[in-house]
Amino acid sequence: MKTDLIAMLPRLRRFARGMTRSVSEADDLVQDACLQALNKAHHYDPTQPLDRWVFRITRNLWISEIRKRQVRLGQGHIPAEEASELVSKDTGETAFAAGQLQDKIAALPENLALVLLAVSVEGYSYAEAAELLKIPVGTVMSRLHRARKELANALAEPAGGHK
Amino acid sequence: MKVTEEQLSAYLDGELPSKDMEMVDAALQEDANLQAQLDALMAADAMAQSGFAEMLKDPVPLALADAIRSAQPVEARPNDVMAANINARPKTPLWMGLAAAIALAVGGVGGYFTGFAQAPVQVAEAPAWLLDIADYHRIYSTQTRHLVEVGADEADHIETWLTATLGAEVRVANLSSHNLRFEGARLLVAAGKPVAQLLYTASDGSVIALCLIQSDEPNSGFKARNLGGFDMVSWGGAGANFVLVGDEGRSDLGVIAETAALDV
Repeated sequence: MKTDLIAMLPRLRRFARGMTRSVSEADDLVQDACLQALNKAHHYDPTQPLDRWVFRITRNLWISEIRKRQVRLGQGHIPAEEASELVSKDTGETAFAAGQLQDKIAALPENLALVLLAVSVEGYSYAEAAELLKIPVGTVMSRLHRARKELANALAEPAGGHK
Repeated sequence: MKVTEEQLSAYLDGELPSKDMEMVDAALQEDANLQAQLDALMAADAMAQSGFAEMLKDPVPLALADAIRSAQPVEARPNDVMAANINARPKTPLWMGLAAAIALAVGGVGGYFTGFAQAPVQVAEAPAWLLDIADYHRIYSTQTRHLVEVGADEADHIETWLTATLGAEVRVANLSSHNLRFEGARLLVAAGKPVAQLLYTASDGSVIALCLIQSDEPNSGFKARNLGGFDMVSWGGAGANFVLVGDEGRSDLGVIAETAALDV
């Protein structure tokens, strides 16, 4: 499983950055998720895709982390759906490397970018994305549309215009 | 019935009920504006896919891959396991610690490590000569009788010969503190330039190579890579770029590079 996890690292880091919006936090999250996957390998159903299982672990760890931060900040318990909306702030890092396309994607709100990544890139169905991101299927559909619409608008902007 | 943009987006994913898919199909035949909207969403999707694909090229920190490679799953209660692993893992990449140590050791003598603190060492895109070095290492590291071209008993000659050939000072680094024995050297050609390859063996027979190539603009900072199935740590020195090459998964390559950087 280690070899498979290492081969999966670029995709896991991309997914984690979509949530954390921070390079270093994403790498910490990916490392924690991989270690948890190794420690819970006996729970893995080999008839299912390994990447989906590890993505789920990654997502759950991040939601758990956000909840802990909220409690530390005195904001009490928050439901998973709201936790998934939260991202780290003021990390001083750029989550995505430079590049026009990446800039446009990075400019998307985290909740839109993640749905786009899950469905349009990773090939999740709406139901699977809903389960992964812990949001209703209808929300997947509406966010996906908003994400595409925002990117389409960005594409329609004249060159050198507002990013 | 009017097709909403949200439905159009779901149509793109094949996620509408079959009745609605047919309805959108029919509407697209008749409505050029709707087709234009779909085209715009498809273009956005293509842009997203390209942009996300670009992110996969971002180099993976070697420390992250190492942490997973060297992880020891423990049979224990889940909470204990996670806590143990999280506490055990290096929060700061190994290479950052290495950089700090070397920067302290050589600071002020050459400035070779300028900027390292700002630029974390990563599995970065490889310069052309390192690709050749990986190929050479794959072949020569399996040699026993013919591992080197000139043996270690002619160390002085190796230094004179390779310094003259490369146009950069070649010194045989003493890596005995890492239980590495200097076996000798070879002259290679990589990226069209002469390269010195100093070969060392460990007690288990594994081979580590220290290679250098003349450069008018040596690299700043250390970079760790996995290339062609080998781990590498490269850095710049006086008039040359250096790279230390070893088997994938060697946990000691960083500290050996630290010694080598101070001794060449």
